[in-house]
Amino acid sequence: MTDSELDVVYTRLCKTMTELGEPNTPLFLARFALLAIERIGNAQTALGLIDAAHEDLAAPDSH
Amino acid sequence: MSVEFKPYPFEAKRYAARIPELDNGRETQRHAVTIAGGGPVGFAIALGLARHGVRSVLIEADDSVCYGSRAICISRRSLEIIERLGALDGFLAKGLPWTGGRSYYRADEVLHFTMPQDENQKLPPMVNLAQYHIEQFLLDAAQAHADLIDIRWCTKVTAVQEDGRGATLNLSTPQGDYEAQTDWLVAADGGRSTIREALGLKLAGTSYEGRYVIVDILLDSARPTERLAYFDPASNPGSTVLVHKQPDNVWRIDYQLRDDEDAELAIKPENVIPRVQSLLDMMGETAPWSPIWITIYKANALTLERYNHGRVLFAGDAAHLVPIFGVRGANSGIDDADNLAWKLAFVVKGLATDTLLDTYSDERVYAAHENLSYGTKSTEFMAPPSFAFDLMRSAVLSLALRHPGLRSLINPRQTSAIAYSASPLNATSPDAFADGPTPGAVLPECPLTLVGPGTSRAGHLTDLVEPRFTAFWFSEIGELPPALTALEATLASRAVPFAVVPLASNRPADPTRPGGWDHTGRLFPMYGATPRTLYLARPDGHVLGRWHGDADALAASVLAAIDHTLRA
Repeated sequence: MTDSELDVVYTRLCKTMTELGEPNTPLFLARFALLAIERIGNAQTALGLIDAAHEDLAAPDSH
Repeated sequence: MSVEFKPYPFEAKRYAARIPELDNGRETQRHAVTIAGGGPVGFAIALGLARHGVRSVLIEADDSVCYGSRAICISRRSLEIIERLGALDGFLAKGLPWTGGRSYYRADEVLHFTMPQDENQKLPPMVNLAQYHIEQFLLDAAQAHADLIDIRWCTKVTAVQEDGRGATLNLSTPQGDYEAQTDWLVAADGGRSTIREALGLKLAGTSYEGRYVIVDILLDSARPTERLAYFDPASNPGSTVLVHKQPDNVWRIDYQLRDDEDAELAIKPENVIPRVQSLLDMMGETAPWSPIWITIYKANALTLERYNHGRVLFAGDAAHLVPIFGVRGANSGIDDADNLAWKLAFVVKGLATDTLLDTYSDERVYAAHENLSYGTKSTEFMAPPSFAFDLMRSAVLSLALRHPGLRSLINPRQTSAIAYSASPLNATSPDAFADGPTPGAVLPECPLTLVGPGTSRAGHLTDLVEPRFTAFWFSEIGELPPALTALEATLASRAVPFAVVPLASNRPADPTRPGGWDHTGRLFPMYGATPRTLYLARPDGHVLGRWHGDADALAASVLAAIDHTLRA
């Protein structure tokens, strides 16, 4: 994937989420993640990506 | 903490209005070309016309070059154009050259980008200097052509009437009002163009809600010149901050406002100064500083549908507004000027039909859409227009440090020359090229030894672009076939500015005319050229056509391409 192809995909993702609105976005991203996992087709890779996406993200304060 | 404002370290000379000879309130002399607007674009058009020997009157509402923080980055392509306009020296002497920048997310550097820069280049990819300097150096060059450029300061356009043969302008000055007539009117009168308004034309496109405060400050710092972008910095959490160094210790700081902030309050010094102070603290800048100028900015991505309307031609911000992110505003205006000047000069001199000006609109509207598409992408990142762009930006920034493959999404997509790949002027060719610029593209730079009768010196290919059509003839020792010298004679008899410039792979023994020797051996492969290759360049340095082969056939192709252009 070239830089400009990545750009196109990124912008399409943003625009789709904008269209769906904020409340629908978590479900949309969850569906996209599942489709990507299914297409990746490799548990080890998918588990690695889950860890990478999780890294540096703190759980919300519980109050 | 300092709160005292200081002036820019630049004193503009003031000029008074001048009333020409009038008859019943109308200027006695009708002009071939009148340019409304004495900004970088207006001056570049006047200088471009002067290079072709065409006179113009330039109308400017103010009494001096501009004040405040406007364009600050001039691209390599603009510098090439400015060099042809005879104003480059000041830009290089005063401007701060730079080649790249850094983006930070919180405390981490997540992108270090560089713009194309290699040993083939003559000019830096970008220089920073204030717009008052840009205008001053162009004004200096214009004043050196006082016989061809008649500048009317303190003169406002109050009404304009286009009648198919030209335009009548109502002009107002502190010394009185008058009417002036012109065959052609160039509207280079900026984003709030009076002429666009008077003609009832509207810009169309997208206006963004995200707001940036722009602050110029005076600060003595040895920090190198590069583009600095801070996303969510500790000093201004949640904000995005851009920092650019300018000459004379002026620093330009742009920071994004939160959606819930009131613009009026946000630009009050008591609200601006603590934010700047906290940014400078974070950057480790400890020297005393003073604010110079504060303003607010919202990104627009707008253009007119066409840039020629009868005898009125639009250029620069009067024709299109591109977002500041990517520095395409003044740079695209200077490209407009370069495209328009030679075409208008050819039409005024009777060498081309008016339809050549349609191609000005075709090519520059196309370029505006390209610039808007890059500018829009930059703006979507720098001033996210929805929660989605904001969310995705946080994702990119927080992953970029460990996942370099995502860093290109942070790249500011700086301005670059636009190729007119679909221009109706481009000549088709059956000849295959392994490399080199296609018709519509600009000439890539390459070092050369510039040779001529009794001379030889180091130079570059773009040094050979003059206000004419140029046929670059590639050969072994610079010999010219009779068909090409005959073509020169034919076009000279029609007063069409044209020259054949030989480019040789071996040192020419006894050059009879100015040309180049490819002493590095890089030029021929860069252009996919072999002996008997010909590139035809327009006066603005864009390629019109390219061919290989028999000189008689080449001469016929060149003549056809030029004829097609002049009767486009």
